[in-house]
Amino acid sequence: MDLSFLGKLLPMLFTGLRVTILIAVVGILLGFLVGTLAGFALESRIKLFKGLANVYIWVIRGTPLIVQALYVYYVIPKLFGIDLSSNLSGILVISLNSGAFIAEIVRGALNGIDPGQREAGLSLGLTPAQTTWHIIVPPAFKSILPALFNQFIISVKDTALLSVIVVNEITHQAQNYASLSYKTIPTYTTLAVFYLVLISILIIVQKMVERKVMR
Amino acid sequence: MGTLLKIRNIMKNFGDLEVLKDISIDVQEGEVIVIIGPSGSGKSTFLRCINQLETPTSGEIWYKDRNVMDPNQTQLRDFREEVGMVFQRFNLFPMKTVLQNVMLAPVLTKKKDKVAARAKAMELLEKVGLGDKANAKPSTLSGGQQQRVAIARALAMEPVALLFDEPTSALDPELVGDVLNVMKDLAREGMTMIVVTHEMGFARDVADRVIFMADGYIVEEGKPEEIFTHPKNDRTKTFLSRVLEA
Repeated sequence: MDLSFLGKLLPMLFTGLRVTILIAVVGILLGFLVGTLAGFALESRIKLFKGLANVYIWVIRGTPLIVQALYVYYVIPKLFGIDLSSNLSGILVISLNSGAFIAEIVRGALNGIDPGQREAGLSLGLTPAQTTWHIIVPPAFKSILPALFNQFIISVKDTALLSVIVVNEITHQAQNYASLSYKTIPTYTTLAVFYLVLISILIIVQKMVERKVMR
Repeated sequence: MGTLLKIRNIMKNFGDLEVLKDISIDVQEGEVIVIIGPSGSGKSTFLRCINQLETPTSGEIWYKDRNVMDPNQTQLRDFREEVGMVFQRFNLFPMKTVLQNVMLAPVLTKKKDKVAARAKAMELLEKVGLGDKANAKPSTLSGGQQQRVAIARALAMEPVALLFDEPTSALDPELVGDVLNVMKDLAREGMTMIVVTHEMGFARDVADRVIFMADGYIVEEGKPEEIFTHPKNDRTKTFLSRVLEA
Protein backbone atom coordinates (compact mmCIF):
# COMPACT_ATOMS: atom_id res chain seq x y z
CA MET A 1 0.00 0.00 0.00
CA ASP A 2 1.23 3.46 -0.88
CA LEU A 3 1.26 5.63 2.19
CA SER A 4 3.11 8.54 0.62
CA PHE A 5 -0.10 10.64 0.56
CA LEU A 6 0.18 10.91 4.34
CA GLY A 7 3.21 13.16 3.87
CA LYS A 8 0.91 15.80 2.45
CA LEU A 9 -2.35 14.99 4.20
CA LEU A 10 -1.09 14.80 7.79
CA PRO A 11 0.37 18.33 7.93
CA MET A 12 -2.92 19.66 6.55
CA LEU A 13 -4.94 17.72 9.09
CA PHE A 14 -2.74 18.85 11.99
CA THR A 15 -3.18 22.44 10.88
CA GLY A 16 -6.94 21.85 10.84
CA LEU A 17 -6.83 20.04 14.18
CA ARG A 18 -5.38 23.15 15.83
CA VAL A 19 -8.37 25.18 14.56
CA THR A 20 -10.86 22.49 15.58
CA ILE A 21 -9.43 22.32 19.09
CA LEU A 22 -9.24 26.11 19.43
CA ILE A 23 -12.86 26.61 18.37
CA ALA A 24 -14.17 23.65 20.36
CA VAL A 25 -12.38 24.54 23.61
CA VAL A 26 -13.05 28.28 23.54
CA GLY A 27 -16.59 27.72 22.24
CA ILE A 28 -17.40 25.20 24.94
CA LEU A 29 -15.96 27.34 27.74
CA LEU A 30 -17.99 30.34 26.59
CA GLY A 31 -20.97 28.05 26.02
CA PHE A 32 -20.67 26.80 29.61
CA LEU A 33 -20.67 30.42 30.83
CA VAL A 34 -23.66 31.39 28.65
CA GLY A 35 -25.49 28.17 29.47
CA THR A 36 -24.99 28.60 33.23
CA LEU A 37 -26.29 32.17 33.12
CA ALA A 38 -29.24 31.16 30.95
CA GLY A 39 -29.95 28.13 33.16
CA PHE A 40 -30.11 30.33 36.27
CA ALA A 41 -32.22 32.83 34.31
CA LEU A 42 -34.71 30.06 33.52
CA GLU A 43 -35.08 29.43 37.25
CA SER A 44 -35.12 33.14 38.08
CA ARG A 45 -38.17 34.83 39.52
CA ILE A 46 -37.46 37.87 37.35
CA LYS A 47 -39.78 37.51 34.35
CA LEU A 48 -37.53 39.46 31.95
CA PHE A 49 -34.53 37.14 32.52
CA LYS A 50 -36.73 34.09 32.21
CA GLY A 51 -38.30 35.38 28.99
CA LEU A 52 -34.96 36.26 27.39
CA ALA A 53 -33.51 32.86 28.23
CA ASN A 54 -36.58 31.08 26.85
CA VAL A 55 -36.43 32.99 23.55
CA TYR A 56 -32.70 32.28 23.22
CA ILE A 57 -33.16 28.55 23.79
CA TRP A 58 -36.19 28.43 21.48
CA VAL A 59 -34.26 30.05 18.62
CA ILE A 60 -31.17 27.86 18.99
CA ARG A 61 -33.04 24.59 19.42
CA GLY A 62 -35.41 25.47 16.60
CA THR A 63 -32.78 26.09 13.90
CA PRO A 64 -30.08 23.82 12.45
CA LEU A 65 -26.49 24.54 13.41
CA ILE A 66 -25.58 25.12 9.76
CA VAL A 67 -28.24 27.82 9.46
CA GLN A 68 -26.94 29.42 12.65
CA ALA A 69 -23.43 29.40 11.21
CA LEU A 70 -24.53 30.94 7.91
CA TYR A 71 -26.52 33.55 9.82
CA VAL A 72 -23.68 34.54 12.13
CA TYR A 73 -21.11 34.65 9.31
CA TYR A 74 -23.12 36.33 6.54
CA VAL A 75 -26.04 38.18 8.17
CA ILE A 76 -24.79 39.53 11.50
CA PRO A 77 -21.84 41.46 9.98
CA LYS A 78 -24.22 43.10 7.47
CA LEU A 79 -26.80 43.96 10.13
CA PHE A 80 -24.30 45.50 12.53
CA GLY A 81 -21.69 46.67 10.06
CA ILE A 82 -18.94 44.67 11.78
CA ASP A 83 -16.25 42.33 10.56
CA LEU A 84 -16.29 38.76 11.83
CA SER A 85 -13.52 36.39 10.81
CA SER A 86 -14.66 32.86 10.10
CA ASN A 87 -12.84 31.55 13.20
CA LEU A 88 -14.51 34.12 15.42
CA SER A 89 -17.89 33.32 13.84
CA GLY A 90 -17.22 29.63 14.50
CA ILE A 91 -16.48 30.27 18.18
CA LEU A 92 -19.63 32.37 18.45
CA VAL A 93 -21.79 29.69 16.84
CA ILE A 94 -20.42 26.87 18.99
CA SER A 95 -20.78 28.85 22.22
CA LEU A 96 -24.30 30.07 21.46
CA ASN A 97 -25.38 26.63 20.30
CA SER A 98 -23.90 24.64 23.20
CA GLY A 99 -25.04 27.35 25.64
CA ALA A 100 -28.69 26.70 24.86
CA PHE A 101 -28.37 22.99 25.53
CA ILE A 102 -26.24 23.53 28.63
CA ALA A 103 -28.91 25.94 29.93
CA GLU A 104 -31.44 23.11 29.89
CA ILE A 105 -28.94 20.83 31.63
CA VAL A 106 -28.31 23.45 34.33
CA ARG A 107 -32.02 24.10 34.78
CA GLY A 108 -32.64 20.39 35.26
CA ALA A 109 -29.88 20.15 37.86
CA LEU A 110 -31.13 23.18 39.81
CA ASN A 111 -34.62 21.69 39.75
CA GLY A 112 -33.27 18.41 41.05
CA ILE A 113 -31.81 19.87 44.24
CA ASP A 114 -34.05 19.24 47.27
CA PRO A 115 -35.70 22.58 48.21
CA GLY A 116 -34.81 21.73 51.81
CA GLN A 117 -31.17 22.52 50.99
CA ARG A 118 -32.00 26.13 50.19
CA GLU A 119 -34.25 26.35 53.23
CA ALA A 120 -31.47 25.05 55.46
CA GLY A 121 -29.09 27.69 54.13
CA LEU A 122 -31.57 30.54 54.50
CA SER A 123 -32.63 29.39 57.98
CA LEU A 124 -29.00 29.67 59.09
CA GLY A 125 -28.95 33.34 58.08
CA LEU A 126 -27.07 32.98 54.80
CA THR A 127 -27.91 35.36 51.96
CA PRO A 128 -29.66 33.88 48.92
CA ALA A 129 -26.40 34.32 46.97
CA GLN A 130 -24.33 32.53 49.65
CA THR A 131 -26.92 29.76 49.75
CA THR A 132 -26.76 29.34 45.99
CA TRP A 133 -22.98 29.38 45.76
CA HIS A 134 -22.05 27.29 48.80
CA ILE A 135 -25.01 24.92 49.04
CA ILE A 136 -26.81 24.61 45.70
CA VAL A 137 -23.96 24.85 43.19
CA PRO A 138 -21.64 22.03 44.42
CA PRO A 139 -24.20 19.19 44.17
CA ALA A 140 -25.75 20.71 41.02
CA PHE A 141 -22.34 20.82 39.34
CA LYS A 142 -21.67 17.24 40.30
CA SER A 143 -24.97 16.11 38.82
CA ILE A 144 -24.52 17.89 35.47
CA LEU A 145 -21.02 16.50 34.77
CA PRO A 146 -22.09 13.50 32.62
CA ALA A 147 -24.52 15.59 30.53
CA LEU A 148 -21.96 18.38 30.26
CA PHE A 149 -19.30 16.07 28.83
CA ASN A 150 -21.87 14.65 26.45
CA GLN A 151 -22.54 18.18 25.20
CA PHE A 152 -18.76 18.77 24.87
CA ILE A 153 -18.49 15.72 22.63
CA ILE A 154 -21.40 16.89 20.49
CA SER A 155 -19.87 20.35 20.18
CA VAL A 156 -16.48 19.00 19.13
CA LYS A 157 -18.16 17.08 16.32
CA ASP A 158 -20.38 20.06 15.45
CA THR A 159 -17.27 22.06 14.56
CA ALA A 160 -17.10 19.91 11.38
CA LEU A 161 -20.18 21.75 10.10
CA LEU A 162 -18.31 25.05 10.28
CA SER A 163 -16.64 24.19 6.97
CA VAL A 164 -19.68 25.92 5.36
CA ILE A 165 -18.37 29.26 6.61
CA VAL A 166 -14.85 28.41 5.47
CA VAL A 167 -13.42 27.74 8.90
CA ASN A 168 -10.20 25.85 8.21
CA GLU A 169 -10.95 23.14 10.72
CA ILE A 170 -9.95 19.55 10.20
CA THR A 171 -12.94 18.43 8.09
CA HIS A 172 -12.51 21.40 5.77
CA GLN A 173 -8.83 20.58 5.38
CA ALA A 174 -9.66 16.97 4.56
CA GLN A 175 -12.20 18.06 1.94
CA ASN A 176 -9.60 20.34 0.37
CA TYR A 177 -7.10 17.53 0.11
CA ALA A 178 -9.64 15.02 -1.18
CA SER A 179 -10.90 17.32 -3.91
CA LEU A 180 -7.35 17.99 -5.13
CA SER A 181 -6.01 14.43 -4.89
CA TYR A 182 -9.15 12.37 -5.48
CA LYS A 183 -7.88 10.09 -2.67
CA THR A 184 -11.23 10.05 -0.90
CA ILE A 185 -11.00 6.68 0.84
CA PRO A 186 -7.68 7.20 2.65
CA THR A 187 -8.42 10.87 3.33
CA TYR A 188 -11.79 10.44 5.00
CA THR A 189 -10.67 7.30 6.81
CA THR A 190 -7.77 9.25 8.31
CA LEU A 191 -10.17 12.10 9.17
CA ALA A 192 -12.50 9.73 11.03
CA VAL A 193 -9.53 8.32 12.97
CA PHE A 194 -8.55 11.85 14.03
CA TYR A 195 -12.04 12.48 15.41
CA LEU A 196 -12.09 9.11 17.16
CA VAL A 197 -8.79 9.85 18.89
CA LEU A 198 -9.92 13.36 19.85
CA ILE A 199 -13.23 12.17 21.32
CA SER A 200 -11.51 9.23 23.06
CA ILE A 201 -9.22 11.67 24.84
CA LEU A 202 -12.29 13.64 25.94
CA ILE A 203 -13.92 10.46 27.25
CA ILE A 204 -10.77 9.61 29.25
CA VAL A 205 -10.77 13.12 30.73
CA GLN A 206 -14.46 12.68 31.59
CA LYS A 207 -13.77 9.43 33.45
CA MET A 208 -10.90 11.04 35.35
CA VAL A 209 -12.92 14.10 36.35
CA GLU A 210 -15.94 12.05 37.36
CA ARG A 211 -13.85 9.68 39.45
CA LYS A 212 -12.34 12.67 41.26
CA VAL A 213 -15.65 14.43 41.89
CA MET A 214 -17.82 11.41 42.67
CA ARG A 215 -15.66 10.41 45.62
CA MET B 1 -37.56 37.10 81.43
CA GLY B 2 -39.11 39.12 78.65
CA THR B 3 -41.29 38.34 75.73
CA LEU B 4 -39.16 37.15 72.84
CA LEU B 5 -41.74 36.69 70.10
CA LYS B 6 -45.12 38.31 69.63
CA ILE B 7 -47.08 36.58 66.89
CA ARG B 8 -50.39 38.14 65.95
CA ASN B 9 -53.23 36.98 63.69
CA ILE B 10 -51.15 34.94 61.29
CA MET B 11 -53.08 33.73 58.25
CA LYS B 12 -51.64 31.66 55.44
CA ASN B 13 -53.38 30.67 52.23
CA PHE B 14 -52.03 28.38 49.54
CA GLY B 15 -54.26 29.39 46.64
CA ASP B 16 -57.80 28.75 47.81
CA LEU B 17 -56.67 26.61 50.71
CA GLU B 18 -56.64 28.38 54.07
CA VAL B 19 -53.97 26.58 56.08
CA LEU B 20 -53.62 29.03 58.96
CA LYS B 21 -56.74 30.92 59.90
CA ASP B 22 -55.80 33.13 62.83
CA ILE B 23 -52.83 32.23 64.97
CA SER B 24 -51.56 34.42 67.80
CA ILE B 25 -49.07 33.46 70.50
CA ASP B 26 -46.44 35.08 72.68
CA VAL B 27 -43.20 33.28 73.37
CA GLN B 28 -41.30 34.08 76.55
CA GLU B 29 -37.54 33.88 76.85
CA GLY B 30 -36.51 30.38 77.94
CA GLU B 31 -39.95 28.94 77.28
CA VAL B 32 -40.42 25.52 75.68
CA ILE B 33 -43.58 25.39 73.61
CA VAL B 34 -44.72 22.12 72.07
CA ILE B 35 -47.27 22.24 69.27
CA ILE B 36 -49.34 19.08 68.74
CA GLY B 37 -52.25 18.26 66.50
CA PRO B 38 -53.40 16.07 63.63
CA SER B 39 -51.49 16.19 60.35
CA GLY B 40 -52.77 18.88 58.05
CA SER B 41 -53.63 21.12 61.00
CA GLY B 42 -51.05 23.72 59.93
CA LYS B 43 -48.42 23.11 62.65
CA SER B 44 -45.43 22.96 60.32
CA THR B 45 -46.70 25.80 58.15
CA PHE B 46 -47.02 27.95 61.26
CA LEU B 47 -43.46 27.15 62.32
CA ARG B 48 -42.19 27.95 58.82
CA CYS B 49 -44.09 31.24 58.85
CA ILE B 50 -42.18 32.32 61.96
CA ASN B 51 -38.81 32.41 60.18
CA GLN B 52 -40.38 33.39 56.87
CA LEU B 53 -39.63 30.22 54.94
CA GLU B 54 -43.30 30.72 54.17
CA THR B 55 -44.52 34.29 53.87
CA PRO B 56 -47.73 34.69 55.89
CA THR B 57 -50.68 36.02 53.92
CA SER B 58 -51.37 38.45 56.76
CA GLY B 59 -50.53 39.06 60.39
CA GLU B 60 -47.58 40.35 62.37
CA ILE B 61 -44.49 38.81 63.91
CA TRP B 62 -42.36 40.80 66.33
CA TYR B 63 -39.01 39.59 67.65
CA LYS B 64 -38.03 41.72 70.66
CA ASP B 65 -38.92 45.08 69.13
CA ARG B 66 -38.10 44.18 65.53
CA ASN B 67 -40.67 43.51 62.83
CA VAL B 68 -39.76 40.13 61.33
CA MET B 69 -42.02 40.66 58.32
CA ASP B 70 -40.24 43.88 57.36
CA PRO B 71 -39.12 43.47 53.74
CA ASN B 72 -35.60 44.49 54.78
CA GLN B 73 -33.55 41.38 53.98
CA THR B 74 -30.67 42.22 56.30
CA GLN B 75 -33.02 42.36 59.25
CA LEU B 76 -34.54 39.02 58.28
CA ARG B 77 -31.08 37.43 58.09
CA ASP B 78 -30.20 38.80 61.54
CA PHE B 79 -33.42 37.27 62.86
CA ARG B 80 -32.66 33.91 61.25
CA GLU B 81 -29.18 33.94 62.80
CA GLU B 82 -30.81 34.31 66.22
CA VAL B 83 -33.72 31.91 65.68
CA GLY B 84 -32.49 28.68 64.13
CA MET B 85 -34.41 25.76 62.68
CA VAL B 86 -34.18 21.96 62.74
CA PHE B 87 -36.00 20.16 59.94
CA GLN B 88 -37.85 16.88 59.74
CA ARG B 89 -35.55 15.62 56.97
CA PHE B 90 -32.37 17.12 58.54
CA ASN B 91 -31.40 18.92 55.29
CA LEU B 92 -27.69 18.43 55.89
CA PHE B 93 -25.38 19.44 53.05
CA PRO B 94 -24.49 16.09 51.46
CA MET B 95 -21.17 17.01 49.82
CA LYS B 96 -19.71 18.52 52.98
CA THR B 97 -18.39 16.66 56.00
CA VAL B 98 -20.19 16.76 59.32
CA LEU B 99 -17.70 19.32 60.60
CA GLN B 100 -18.07 21.50 57.48
CA ASN B 101 -21.85 21.35 57.85
CA VAL B 102 -21.58 22.77 61.35
CA MET B 103 -18.88 25.36 60.57
CA LEU B 104 -20.23 26.72 57.30
CA ALA B 105 -22.77 29.28 58.47
CA PRO B 106 -20.73 30.80 61.35
CA VAL B 107 -17.80 31.35 58.99
CA LEU B 108 -19.98 32.84 56.24
CA THR B 109 -22.22 35.04 58.36
CA LYS B 110 -20.39 36.02 61.49
CA LYS B 111 -17.02 36.28 59.84
CA LYS B 112 -15.86 34.06 62.64
CA ASP B 113 -12.37 32.93 61.77
CA LYS B 114 -12.03 29.31 60.78
CA VAL B 115 -9.99 28.26 63.80
CA ALA B 116 -12.55 29.56 66.28
CA ALA B 117 -15.45 28.17 64.22
CA ARG B 118 -13.79 24.75 64.06
CA ALA B 119 -13.20 24.67 67.81
CA LYS B 120 -16.80 25.66 68.48
CA ALA B 121 -18.11 23.10 65.97
CA MET B 122 -16.06 20.30 67.57
CA GLU B 123 -17.34 21.29 71.00
CA LEU B 124 -20.94 21.11 69.74
CA LEU B 125 -20.38 17.77 68.01
CA GLU B 126 -19.00 16.41 71.31
CA LYS B 127 -22.08 17.78 73.04
CA VAL B 128 -24.43 15.85 70.74
CA GLY B 129 -22.20 12.77 71.06
CA LEU B 130 -20.73 12.79 67.57
CA GLY B 131 -17.21 14.14 68.02
CA ASP B 132 -15.83 11.02 66.35
CA LYS B 133 -17.90 11.63 63.19
CA ALA B 134 -16.49 15.08 62.38
CA ASN B 135 -14.89 14.00 59.12
CA ALA B 136 -17.67 11.66 57.96
CA LYS B 137 -20.10 12.51 55.19
CA PRO B 138 -23.75 12.82 56.34
CA SER B 139 -24.87 9.92 54.13
CA THR B 140 -22.76 7.51 56.21
CA LEU B 141 -24.64 8.40 59.41
CA SER B 142 -27.91 7.04 60.75
CA GLY B 143 -30.98 9.29 60.72
CA GLY B 144 -30.67 9.96 64.43
CA GLN B 145 -27.01 10.92 64.06
CA GLN B 146 -27.83 13.18 61.11
CA GLN B 147 -30.49 14.96 63.13
CA ARG B 148 -28.06 15.51 65.98
CA VAL B 149 -25.59 17.01 63.49
CA ALA B 150 -28.41 19.27 62.27
CA ILE B 151 -29.02 20.40 65.84
CA ALA B 152 -25.30 21.09 66.28
CA ARG B 153 -25.36 23.06 63.01
CA ALA B 154 -28.21 25.22 64.31
CA LEU B 155 -26.47 25.68 67.67
CA ALA B 156 -23.26 26.82 65.97
CA MET B 157 -25.00 30.11 65.22
CA GLU B 158 -25.40 30.58 69.00
CA PRO B 159 -29.12 31.14 68.60
CA VAL B 160 -31.49 32.71 71.11
CA ALA B 161 -34.28 30.34 70.12
CA LEU B 162 -34.75 27.21 68.03
CA LEU B 163 -37.67 25.98 65.92
CA PHE B 164 -38.03 22.19 65.60
CA ASP B 165 -40.20 20.95 62.73
CA GLU B 166 -41.12 17.32 63.58
CA PRO B 167 -37.47 16.51 64.34
CA THR B 168 -38.05 12.83 65.06
CA SER B 169 -40.78 11.97 62.53
CA ALA B 170 -38.37 10.67 59.90
CA LEU B 171 -36.43 8.48 62.34
CA ASP B 172 -36.53 4.79 63.10
CA PRO B 173 -38.19 4.36 66.53
CA GLU B 174 -35.02 3.22 68.27
CA LEU B 175 -33.15 6.35 67.17
CA VAL B 176 -35.73 8.83 68.48
CA GLY B 177 -34.48 8.73 72.06
CA ASP B 178 -31.00 10.09 71.35
CA VAL B 179 -32.42 13.11 69.54
CA LEU B 180 -34.99 13.78 72.25
CA ASN B 181 -32.28 13.58 74.92
CA VAL B 182 -30.27 16.28 73.15
CA MET B 183 -33.40 18.42 72.99
CA LYS B 184 -34.12 17.83 76.67
CA ASP B 185 -30.60 18.98 77.54
CA LEU B 186 -31.14 22.16 75.54
CA ALA B 187 -34.44 22.84 77.30
CA ARG B 188 -32.76 22.32 80.66
CA GLU B 189 -30.03 24.81 79.73
CA GLY B 190 -32.71 27.44 79.12
CA MET B 191 -32.95 27.46 75.35
CA THR B 192 -36.17 28.95 74.02
CA MET B 193 -37.78 26.28 71.86
CA ILE B 194 -40.87 25.87 69.71
CA VAL B 195 -41.28 22.20 68.88
CA VAL B 196 -43.78 20.66 66.47
CA THR B 197 -43.90 16.97 67.32
CA HIS B 198 -45.95 13.83 67.73
CA GLU B 199 -43.86 12.75 70.74
CA MET B 200 -46.42 13.12 73.52
CA GLY B 201 -43.97 11.93 76.17
CA PHE B 202 -41.60 14.75 75.28
CA ALA B 203 -44.46 17.26 75.34
CA ARG B 204 -45.53 16.08 78.80
CA ASP B 205 -42.04 16.01 80.31
CA VAL B 206 -40.37 19.04 78.76
CA ALA B 207 -42.97 21.57 77.61
CA ASP B 208 -43.79 24.66 79.62
CA ARG B 209 -46.84 25.08 77.41
CA VAL B 210 -48.62 22.75 75.00
CA ILE B 211 -50.56 24.14 72.06
CA PHE B 212 -53.13 21.96 70.32
CA MET B 213 -53.80 22.98 66.72
CA ALA B 214 -56.49 21.73 64.36
CA ASP B 215 -57.83 23.01 61.04
CA GLY B 216 -55.61 26.08 61.06
CA TYR B 217 -56.63 27.29 64.51
CA ILE B 218 -55.21 27.04 68.02
CA VAL B 219 -57.93 24.99 69.64
CA GLU B 220 -56.51 24.81 73.12
CA GLU B 221 -53.34 25.68 74.99
CA GLY B 222 -52.07 25.29 78.51
CA LYS B 223 -49.64 23.55 80.82
CA PRO B 224 -48.97 19.97 79.77
CA GLU B 225 -50.72 18.48 82.80
CA GLU B 226 -53.86 20.50 82.00
CA ILE B 227 -53.90 19.54 78.35
CA PHE B 228 -53.08 15.89 78.87
CA THR B 229 -55.20 15.16 81.94
CA HIS B 230 -58.05 17.67 81.68
CA PRO B 231 -58.48 18.69 78.06
CA LYS B 232 -61.48 21.01 77.76
CA ASN B 233 -62.17 20.91 74.05
CA ASP B 234 -63.78 17.86 72.44
CA ARG B 235 -61.42 18.06 69.48
CA THR B 236 -58.45 17.87 71.86
CA LYS B 237 -59.99 14.96 73.75
CA THR B 238 -60.54 12.97 70.56
CA PHE B 239 -57.03 13.62 69.31
CA LEU B 240 -55.39 12.71 72.62
CA SER B 241 -57.42 9.58 73.10
CA ARG B 242 -56.31 8.44 69.64
CA VAL B 243 -52.60 9.15 70.02
CA LEU B 244 -52.24 8.11 73.65
CA GLU B 245 -53.98 4.81 73.01
CA ALA B 246 -51.49 3.85 70.32
